[in-house]
Amino acid sequence: MKNFAKIIDIAGYLPKNTLTNSILGDLYKGWSADKIFEKTGISTRHIAGPEETAGDLAYEAAETLFAQGRANKADVDFLIFCTQAPDYILPTTACILQNRLQLSTSIGAVDINLGCSGYVYSLSLAKGLIESGAARSVLILTADTYSKYINPLDKSVRTIFGDGASATIVQGVESTKPLIGPFIFGTDGSGANNLIVPGGLFRLPSSGKTSQIIEDESGNARSADDLYMNGAEVMSFSLREVPKAINNLLEKSGLSKESIDFFVLHQANRFMLQALSKKMKLKEDRLPILMENCGNTVSSSIPLAMLTMQNRGDFQAEKQLMLVGFGVGYSWAACLLTY
Amino acid sequence: MSEFYEGMAEIFEVNVNQISSDFDLHGADAPWDSLAIVSTIALVDDCFNIMLDGQSLTACNFVSDIEALISSVKSA
Repeated sequence: MKNFAKIIDIAGYLPKNTLTNSILGDLYKGWSADKIFEKTGISTRHIAGPEETAGDLAYEAAETLFAQGRANKADVDFLIFCTQAPDYILPTTACILQNRLQLSTSIGAVDINLGCSGYVYSLSLAKGLIESGAARSVLILTADTYSKYINPLDKSVRTIFGDGASATIVQGVESTKPLIGPFIFGTDGSGANNLIVPGGLFRLPSSGKTSQIIEDESGNARSADDLYMNGAEVMSFSLREVPKAINNLLEKSGLSKESIDFFVLHQANRFMLQALSKKMKLKEDRLPILMENCGNTVSSSIPLAMLTMQNRGDFQAEKQLMLVGFGVGYSWAACLLTY
Repeated sequence: MSEFYEGMAEIFEVNVNQISSDFDLHGADAPWDSLAIVSTIALVDDCFNIMLDGQSLTACNFVSDIEALISSVKSA
């Protein structure tokens, strides 16, 4: 028996404000609420309030996790916070969360800046910390507030993204086999411009020029300070790399597709997940689409989907999962998980 | 090609009989917008196992232009 990292519990948090398809349908000419649902598979997105940050959402998710009773604050010796909307340029939001959550001052705390692949990367870091003996109990928090980057008149992203957070506790347990991993990683920075907030930091500081709103050929309005997504290129990237990552991980682990109970993919949007499911010849009972009530919550989408599956009883007996995160960067990662 | 035409009809929400090589992607009934282009990428991948890039698709005016792109990738 060896010490292997294991997910002990997961919790989620969605902000209270919501953005429904009927609100969006009234705003976008030619896009009815029904059409928005049909294309995205999303009914409602939760949106952080004007003064509510990703750090606030992560805090709520963490408190929910501890209230569930399977994780103790006193045991946590490392905190990983994955976000692309930190509270400040500096200091690290994870340090602020250590204090707000009243965790020990003896813990390590880091932010990692990744989007849709971030949960799988965070799991790989937690596994490394635990199995190398550097930590015993790692708290992974994911949270994003993409709504703050989205121009209200850009339907290409406003219909898809929602704000949300998750909290996961990973601890070392005695086991005969690894419970997280192996992993596959991928990075292709040539796709950076296809999902980006171009303005606002040092490459292109905010100015009168970056805040100038321009309408594109599809009628979406945004400035350089807003989130931009080239949907076509992101779709091509996903259809190209995700099946490859899944097959590479199966090959690396020596497992067949049939031996995986659930493929929990980043919940990008229903259309993309259906295209991937068709390409991978996997039906929805094994490749769940669980984003109707929250939209694409970036790095929280995989743990929030797992939480929904847990609540509906999918994990009553131990299951073999494959998690696949992919998107902004481009960055992608996949891992096996016994849960 | 029929599966492709059926898919194009779904994307443009028209009867499949209306889809031919001459179908105008910028016609009155056809919003050749980012959503239609994303859908076409997935359709072409599904039907022909070919990945078209968004920029080339954006430049298409008729279904025949998409068919020409598919042929050029096939023969490459």
